[in-house]
Parts: sequence; C-alpha cells; structure tokens
Amino acid sequence: MPSTLSNPLRLGLRQERVISPQCLVIFGASGDLTHRKLIPALFELYLQRRIPSEFGIVGCARRPWTDNEFREKMKVKLSNQISGKEREWEQFSNYLFYEPVDLQQSDHVVRLSRRLNEIDKTQATHGNRTFYLSVSPNFYASGCKALKAAGLLDDPKKSRLVIEKPFGRDYSSAKKLNKIVQSCAEESQIYRIDHYLGKETVQNILVLRFANTIFEPIWNRNYISSVQITSSETVGVEDRAGYYESSGALRDMLQNHMTQMLAVTAMEPPGRFEPEAIRNEKAKVLQASKLANENEPWNCCIRGQYGEGGNISNRLKGYRQEDGVNCNSTTETYIATKIFVDNWRWQGVPFYLRTGKRLPKRLGEIVLTFKDVPVHLFESTIINPVSNQLILRIQPNEGATFKFEVKSPGSGMKSRPVEMEFSYDESFGEPSDEGYVRLLADAMLSDPTLFTRSDEVEAAWKLYTPLIELMDNSPWKLPIYNYESMTWGPPESDQFISKDNIFWRRP
Amino acid sequence: MKPQLTLQTPLELPYQEISNYLNKLWISEDKDNSGANTFTLMVWQPAWLEQCLVQKGLVNGPITGNLSPEIIKVAKKFILDQGLPITTSLNSEELLNLLKENLSNEDFEDFRGQFFESSISTLNPRRLITLAPTINKNSDIKTFVSAYCPLSDTQAMQPICGDLVVIRGDSASISNKGLKIIDELSIDELPAWLWWNGSLDESPEIFEYFTNYGLRLIIDTALGSPQRCLKVLDQLNNLNKAINDLNWVRLKNWRESLAMIFDPPSRRPILDHITDIDIDIAGDHMIQALFLISWISDKLGWSFLRVERDTELTKIEFERINGEIISASINPLSLGNPSIHLGQVIGLRLISKISEVQKNNTCVILGCESVECMRLEAGGMADMELIEQVVPNSFSTSEYDVSKLLGSSRGNTSPLFENSIKIALQIFNGLNN
Repeated sequence: MPSTLSNPLRLGLRQERVISPQCLVIFGASGDLTHRKLIPALFELYLQRRIPSEFGIVGCARRPWTDNEFREKMKVKLSNQISGKEREWEQFSNYLFYEPVDLQQSDHVVRLSRRLNEIDKTQATHGNRTFYLSVSPNFYASGCKALKAAGLLDDPKKSRLVIEKPFGRDYSSAKKLNKIVQSCAEESQIYRIDHYLGKETVQNILVLRFANTIFEPIWNRNYISSVQITSSETVGVEDRAGYYESSGALRDMLQNHMTQMLAVTAMEPPGRFEPEAIRNEKAKVLQASKLANENEPWNCCIRGQYGEGGNISNRLKGYRQEDGVNCNSTTETYIATKIFVDNWRWQGVPFYLRTGKRLPKRLGEIVLTFKDVPVHLFESTIINPVSNQLILRIQPNEGATFKFEVKSPGSGMKSRPVEMEFSYDESFGEPSDEGYVRLLADAMLSDPTLFTRSDEVEAAWKLYTPLIELMDNSPWKLPIYNYESMTWGPPESDQFISKDNIFWRRP
Repeated sequence: MKPQLTLQTPLELPYQEISNYLNKLWISEDKDNSGANTFTLMVWQPAWLEQCLVQKGLVNGPITGNLSPEIIKVAKKFILDQGLPITTSLNSEELLNLLKENLSNEDFEDFRGQFFESSISTLNPRRLITLAPTINKNSDIKTFVSAYCPLSDTQAMQPICGDLVVIRGDSASISNKGLKIIDELSIDELPAWLWWNGSLDESPEIFEYFTNYGLRLIIDTALGSPQRCLKVLDQLNNLNKAINDLNWVRLKNWRESLAMIFDPPSRRPILDHITDIDIDIAGDHMIQALFLISWISDKLGWSFLRVERDTELTKIEFERINGEIISASINPLSLGNPSIHLGQVIGLRLISKISEVQKNNTCVILGCESVECMRLEAGGMADMELIEQVVPNSFSTSEYDVSKLLGSSRGNTSPLFENSIKIALQIFNGLNN
C-alpha cells in the first residue's frame, strides 16, 4: 500500500499556470453540479494558489439568494472538503457572489451585466469573464442568445462560454445548437466540456502514445486485433431519473465520454501539441468511425436495463422500480456497441464500447488486444496462450498493465501470462486532480485542447445516428435486455461479442 | 542569429524627444490598436565580450547582443592564444580584462535591441527598452525608437504591436541622461520587468536605480562575484522585491530529477536517513551549488550548523530535527570545455544510511553525463543500492529562460527560491566569518 505522505522535494515544484484575473459566472448555481463539482474544483484551485487575487465567482440561478446565503449554502454542502481548511475557505468565500438570474428574462441578464461591471471594479477583473452554463440543456440556446443580447459575449478575447454535456440529443439537434451558439460567440470562445478529458489518465494516453517510441509502431491494424473500451458504474440512476429517462446510456455516456476515449485512443499523432492540431486529429478519427454494420445497426448494438439484484442484506431495486422512473421504461442503462474506424491505421479492427449502471465494479479502461503469434512454439500452462494485452486503467487504480507470456518455471518449456504494472499511486503517490479542476482552469486560461469542438460533437452524434433512429422509429429491433444488478450486463452482450470469438475482459 | 524584430531601421532621436514621439505614434496609428496590453521589458545588454571581439577585429560586426557560435569559437581561441587556462570561462573577468587592453575608440555598427529570440517577441512585449552600454568610455548617449508588429504563425485578427527603444552610450551617460527618460517611458498600467543581462558587479548605481523602481527583476547570479550576488539577493529579499534568477532557473532539471527519484512512496524513507551530500560544480563559483543544497535542506527540514573551507572543498554541516548530522560538500572541478555560465552543478551524490550493513543503504547519484555518474560511483558506492540518473544540461538560452519567466510567472519571487536564498546566505556568511 503506497504511502500517502507527500514527497517533500516535490512540494512547490509543480509550476502550474496561473489563471488570469477574471470573473467566473456560473448559471445553474443552485444545482447539483455547482456544489458537487464546480465549487470544490475552484476551492482546490485556490488551495493550489492558482486563483489570482483579482477574481470573482458569481453564482446565478432563479432562487433569490444573497451573496451571503450563497456562501453559506456552499459552505454547508462542501463541509467535508472544508474540514481542516476553514481559514482557507473563509478567504476563498470572499470570491463568491450571487445574482438571482432567470436567463429567459432579458432584464435579469441586463441586471447581471451591471452587477458584473461592479464586481469588475471591486475585484479588478478587467471585464475578463468566463460564463459556465450548468443549466438544463433545454436552456443552452436561449442562454447563449440572452448573453449575446446583453453584449456579454462581444469581446472574444475577454469572454468565454463553457457548455456542459449533453450537447444536443442527436446529430440534427447538435448541429442546430452549434449554429445558434456560434451565432452568439466565436468558436474560439466556446468550451464544450467533457469531464472525462480532464482525467489525468485520459491525457496520459496521449503521452503514452506520442512520447514513447515503442507503442506507436504497433498501434495499428498490423498488431492490434481488437480494442475494448469500458466504463462501468456500480450506482444506479440515483436521483437523476428525470434526466436519465430521456437520455439513457447512449446519450449519457456513449456519445460523449466513451467516444472521446475512442478518439484519443485511435487518433493520428498531431503535428504539434496545440489545441487545433489535436482537435483536428480527433475530429478526423470520429469522422472515419462508423458502426460495424450501418445497414443493420441492430446487429452492432446491445441494450440492457438493470433489474433487481444485490443480496439479502442489501437488495437493490431494478431500474423500473426506481423513484421517478416509468414502470414501463425502455430507457437503456447498459449499452454495448461495435465500431470500425475506416482509415489506414484501423481498417478491420473492431472497437467494442460498453457502458452501464449497476455493474459489479466502478471502472474505466481501454484494453488493446494484440494479434496472436503466428506459430505457437510453446505449450501453455493454461489451455490456450493469451494474446498480449495493454490495459490502460482510467479509474480507479489509475495506471497501465501489459500482459505478456513468459516461461513458466520448471524443467519444461511451457509459457504462462504475467503482468507488468504501472500504477500512478506507486509511482507518484499523490492523487491526481478531479477532471473539473483541470478543465475549469483550462477554460479560464483560454486553452481549448481538452474541450470538444463543434465538428467533433457532430461527428460523435453522426456515428450513433443509425442507432438513435432505430431506437426512435423501430425500438423492437433493438430490444432492451434485462440484467441483474451487479452483474456485467445482459448475457446477450456476451453473445454479441463472442460471435467474433472475443470475450469482454473481466476486470 | 536571432530574428530581427523590426523591419525598419530604428529612428535616431534626441533622448528628450523619445517619449513625445512614442505618444504621438500610438495616437496617430490605427485607433483600435493602442499597442499590446502586455508588459514592458527593459534589458541591460552590455555584451562586453562581443563588443571587445568586434573592436579587436576578431569577429565581424555589427554588434547584436547575440552570443553566436562564432563569438564562442573566437573567444575560446583567444583564451588559448593568450596562454590562459583552457578552463577559463567566457564570462571570466580575467578574459574580459585582457580583451579590453588596447581597444580603439572607434564606433562600430551596433544593432543591440533590435534582435530578440522569437520566444520573447511572441509574447508581444508592449515596450522593449534596451540599455546598451558601450565599451568606448567617451560615447555620448544616443537613443533610437521603432514600432514593431511580430507576425504570428497562428491566425490572429490583427497584429498586436509594440515599440522598442534603444538607449546607447557609455555607462556614465546612460546613468546621467538615459535613466531620466525611463520614467517617461513607463506605462503605468502594465507590469514592467528588468532583465539585467550582465554581471551584478557592474554599474551598481544603474542597477540600484532599477531596484528602487519597483520592477520585476531578472538577474543571473552566475555572472558577478558570489559576494556581490548574495549581497544583492539579500538586499532585494529584505526589501521584498520580486527577484527571478536565471542561475536558479537553470537548476530546474536538478530539482525535478531529484524529486522524481523520490516520487514513488516506497523510496520516501531514504530521505529520512541521508547522511552525506556531495555536489560537484564546474569552476569555483559556488552560488548555484549553494542554492541546490539550500533547497534540499529547506525541503527536508534541516538546520544549518557550520561551514568550513578545506582547500578548494567547502564542507557544510546540517542537523536533522532528531539531532542527526548531515555532511555536505561542494567540490569545484576544472572542466576543459566549461559552460558559459560559471559554477554550474555537474554532479550530486546523496547517501542514505538506514543500517550498518552497507548493501541495505542507498546512494543516489545525479550527473550531467554518465562519466560524472561513474566518477561519483567511486569509493564503494556500488556496494549500496544505487539509484543513478543523468540530468540533461539545460541547453536553453537565457532569452528562452527569460521568456518562460515573462510568460508564466506573476513576477514574484518563487517561495522555494526565497527560502533557498536565506539558507545560502547563512552558509556563505558562515564561510566568511
């Protein structure tokens, strides 16, 4: 078990970029995301001394709170994080302001504009602003229009707009939303957030691939036989039934987080480590991706929904029994799909993506399975020799494992698989930042590298359009299979992949 | 050769007219472009070596302030021709004194202030002021001015422009007349930096003028005598002035490499049992080594006990909180091909004794090249658990390091550096008492 004590020689060595003076305006400040992710991330940035003294955080929502009420509510919600750092919180809370705003009311936005001008003066933030739309996706378009109308997005160098997922419900709505947002702000001002890209381990895929010579030559169809990308959660729908019923696993996870992982895994090396160069490559790979059989999309996807499960001491409800869920709901809580990337590098290599709720483990991983050796010279200690695998663990126990064959000890010449491990904990001993810490800082620093561009979002939706159309028009062709809570999805998912003589990795 | 910043030759104007000219320039230009909203950078740019070599006719002019490979080659040949030791640094006073002998009073084309590496120009300094002291002692002040618009390879809506001012003359005329216009040239709402790109021993009155001016300072303590450098650091630190030292910046790879070794939690206990630290430096300018040892002692919570000089070796003792003593030494080595920066760290050995059994102890060796690692391995170190790493030398130019500071720092003194200065001063004062 690695020590959690910090490396004393490491203290103060990290030279993080300091955020320039500005005001961060959070719309939807009374919502979950604000107190669960955004304010904790900003407090963490403050503890890391990355927040300048000329700074302000303006919470906006319909509720008629005052600055002090907002500060108090955040303090209560963040009590665990604040514990032991009360003095720091007191200083940090001086940055917090609140303005009651209904984005649908133009006079509210005008009032907000006046308030921001006042805060500019008291906090010396020079009119530099980042607007964070943490509101219902239904209000993205009208929110952008309201900000534009109030002139708050006029200066492309001084104003930025962060938009949460989901960005649209399908290809056409995403395209329409992009058009509206781009009519209100320049693309360089728009930061479409996907918090998976803020994870250290997702970024590490880029470093692993492009900072080492050993991986890139074998990172292609000549050596890799298949790729599996898994993101599993142990939790059920919890208190998000309202949102989840209308989104499901495809819209909630597959189209964004999973597809971004696919893009990072499959993209070509960018010419330079610059935002546009990276986003160009990601967009290209997504544009080259397609369902394994677009003419028969029902053959390249399995949907599932969790049923009851657990054990006697901890019985778990099925999805349809959850509060707020329609008792006849056909929303999928599990989805597995097979994708091909139609380019020179990946032609013929299947990418299997799966995600689900109430699976046995919370994890995210990418598994690259290499081709079998042409001739098996050695007998294996197990039935069949296992192909080499590189497993990139996104969470938890972040790191990588390489599986390969070695000689089994003894007088014979039998082979057996072993694992070579890299663990962030064991190598660095320090927890990595939450994705939001990195992404909030990047947005405020005007660094769009880890944000999705309009063409990426559209390409990701386009990829799943045949499935979405099928789900909307002929759902019986894509049935929902039931699976017991805390199992690895419906048995049909195993059959789906075993047709290709491949098995889901059991992490 | 660094890129030339201005496409046009700067305009020579009487020094009294510079400020007015610039004010008019920005008013008469495009109303929407009032210049980059960035910072002012003043550069003290003596380039003595280049000036001497050009004056002596050993290299062709014009003078640019750029330490080109040709200048380095010619200067090294001069060292050998004059019978100076091959270990003589290009920044040594001995070399400069020899070069300054029998110089003519002739003026040469001088383009200092017009050439900057793109790492600096892409930061769009709003105003670049170069103070270019001449080796000719009777050179009255001349001032030049020009606007510039660096072309970016990324899409920009509009070039962001700045201006540059060159104040050239002998040190006395710069001091008497040149400094008078600095006040007028300051842009109040923008941060201002001074890069003292010369020895801290020279022109103390001009340096002092700037330190009183509230600028963010960039100095290089590899240039100038250790006494003077530490005295300056002490004064600036006591006055809470923002200091950035390129000699400290060049230690970055050493700090990072050492920290990296102890990132795996399984290695952390080694730090609690360190008994010896040896640092090898190139030449006898010990400030960088003092910074390194001070940083380590600060981070590991050691107190300085005593220091003594043993011939060329400097021996230092620290005490751990539990009363254990740590012995450190700074060992100057003569190198045949010395760095242009004096006293750069070339090797570090750290011994941690956890037991009486030698093989259970640990020896950490960092060397600037594998030969240095092998040198530090001598004396039975291989009997211990050996952790070795080659620390690549910093090949970045001073301008690149300066651009990093300009681009990333708020200009305040790094807390790590501030603490290291205090301990380095304790050690250095102990040596002189």
